Amino acid sequence: MTVGVPGWIRTNLFSSPLDGVITIVLAVIIAIGAFNAVNWVFFTASWEVITSRVPLYVIGRYPQDLYWRPETALLLVSVLLGMGWRMWGGLARGFAIAIIIITLLAGVLPYLGVDLSPPTDPDAPPNEPKHLVNAMFILNFVAVAVGYGLAMIPSIGRAKTFFITAVVFFIISAFLIIGSSYIPGLDPVPTQDLGGLTLNLLLAAVGIVCSIPIGIALALGRRSQLPFLKYFCVGFIEIVRGVPLITLLFMSRHILPLTFPETVSIDELYLAMITITLFSSAYMAENVRGGMAAVATGQTEAARALGLRAWQTTIMITLPQGLRNIIPAIVGQSIGLFKDTSLVFIIGMLDLVEMGRVTIQGNLDFVDDGHEVYIFIAVVFWVFTSSMSYVSRRIETALGVGRR
Amino acid sequence: MIQDAVEQSITITDPNIRNVPLEERDDIIVCENVFKWFGNFCAINDVSMNVKRGEVVVIFGPSGSGKSTFIRMINRLEEHQKGKIVVDGIEMTNDLRNLDAIRREVGMVFQQFNLFPHMSVLGNITLAPQRVRHMPKAEAEELGMQLLERVGIPEQAEKYPAELSGGQQQRVAIARALAMQPVIMLFDEPTSALDPEMIKEVLDVMRELADTGMTMLCVTHEMGFAREVADRMAMFDEGQLVELGTPDQMFNNPAEERTQLFLDQIL
Repeated sequence: MTVGVPGWIRTNLFSSPLDGVITIVLAVIIAIGAFNAVNWVFFTASWEVITSRVPLYVIGRYPQDLYWRPETALLLVSVLLGMGWRMWGGLARGFAIAIIIITLLAGVLPYLGVDLSPPTDPDAPPNEPKHLVNAMFILNFVAVAVGYGLAMIPSIGRAKTFFITAVVFFIISAFLIIGSSYIPGLDPVPTQDLGGLTLNLLLAAVGIVCSIPIGIALALGRRSQLPFLKYFCVGFIEIVRGVPLITLLFMSRHILPLTFPETVSIDELYLAMITITLFSSAYMAENVRGGMAAVATGQTEAARALGLRAWQTTIMITLPQGLRNIIPAIVGQSIGLFKDTSLVFIIGMLDLVEMGRVTIQGNLDFVDDGHEVYIFIAVVFWVFTSSMSYVSRRIETALGVGRR
Repeated sequence: MIQDAVEQSITITDPNIRNVPLEERDDIIVCENVFKWFGNFCAINDVSMNVKRGEVVVIFGPSGSGKSTFIRMINRLEEHQKGKIVVDGIEMTNDLRNLDAIRREVGMVFQQFNLFPHMSVLGNITLAPQRVRHMPKAEAEELGMQLLERVGIPEQAEKYPAELSGGQQQRVAIARALAMQPVIMLFDEPTSALDPEMIKEVLDVMRELADTGMTMLCVTHEMGFAREVADRMAMFDEGQLVELGTPDQMFNNPAEERTQLFLDQIL
């Protein structure tokens, strides 16, 4: 009989002499590895290269006097999280609390003498706390509360309103962060100054949000009876899917402009957005096509028997069910695209990974080999991607994907 | 106002037609020498059959005999390749206008219900009236509720199909088809996917529907229903219409040996 922990250990780890030897050898190896890892993390590693460069990793060399713009975007995110907290609780609550804690720390630490971006010149005077920047960080808990309160109004606290608000806030945020020469008071930020994690998130969000409608259009085009439309879509999808993103980015920067008139030049940021969106659209189109193909034929037959036309059947019956089928695939693609955004270094943009590489090279005096930086970056990416897949699983359960 | 309009449209068929002898009624479906092949397989082999207005025809036969294919040709879910099909005076051709007109006249109920899972029960019913007949939303919902009452489940209007039992789903499917105010209803094994205790509730709805003067083609092996409700029965085998006759003839004195054999097996 095997009872309790000793019993489990005996049957699973020491059931024969050979098993016992293997168990002990492996235990020693694991223990040495764990000891070394802990020792490195807490005693050997120098995390200062990260703690003293936080703004660089978060948002690149974004002008400090314009920090209110990304901070306003962050407030909008907090409002959404507040709404989500009220509407779904659970994970949204977790995110909301996390953002409140992080922003409170960011806002309060400067007054406690912790400077997250000290001047690089040792002789320069230390930074004064910037009251507006810090106050806006601290205000995030108010934004969460506002969102929570808004969602208590029945007409606002609905999934449809939430998604419309999210899209509107997303567009406002993108304009706030990037700026536009057409909007007074929102001067464009030089592309070279926009970087870090914000750039990864911005590119991934633009790519996914814009590629959903384009991907649907391509998928419908591929199913079309019109030969020109059909083969255009097939050609686009197959060519784009057949080429690595890094190659597409490189071509967009160095080869495509050869076809432009000399007076026309497109900013790298927009080239990256367009390229990533088109790249993602090709994959999205195949997801959508698969999702629609998985809808039972009985659905189409029932719709046709009711007298709905082919396009009505597609729009009202096949497409909504197809999209519901592919929510996991869309999230999977979002995760992949988020990680792929680090490839924009090829056109000279300073995303989180490239920023890490640059800081290592620029600080060789107090960085050995920069392991700390890459571990930090890996953890940041992992936190975001694993949250995304957790959200996806929750949505799947809520929508009953996989159940009929 | 809305009430009256709905009341009028819901009773598009005439219950009195059940009192008129079959010979004196007009043909609502005419099939002449119809053929259909799937590749080399001849699914429908030279079938000719006329259905009278208000008639209830039960179609039966072994599986793979072409009975489902046959009724699916009446609203062109399957295309016939040879012969002629005329539904309520409209010939079945590739002309889309004819096809639209026929699909408005003919309702269909499927073995697997085929309700739209992403829409509420009422949404399922009101979709086609709004989108095809361009009925205002309020009127469509009024009609939907009346139909749900007719099939006995008005309290389920806001639920989603997955929350309903099989029998309830099939009754919603019948209401959905009726919402287009068809003059012909096709039933493709409407009770085959149901648990035994739910079969009766669906057959009851079909029985009431027959009493309203609706023309009905039912593929079913519910022989009690056939004996009680059908005006005529059609036996299909290997794509052919083997025998067509009243239930009395079929059950007591079938002309064909194949009919006798099949009925012996299932009764």
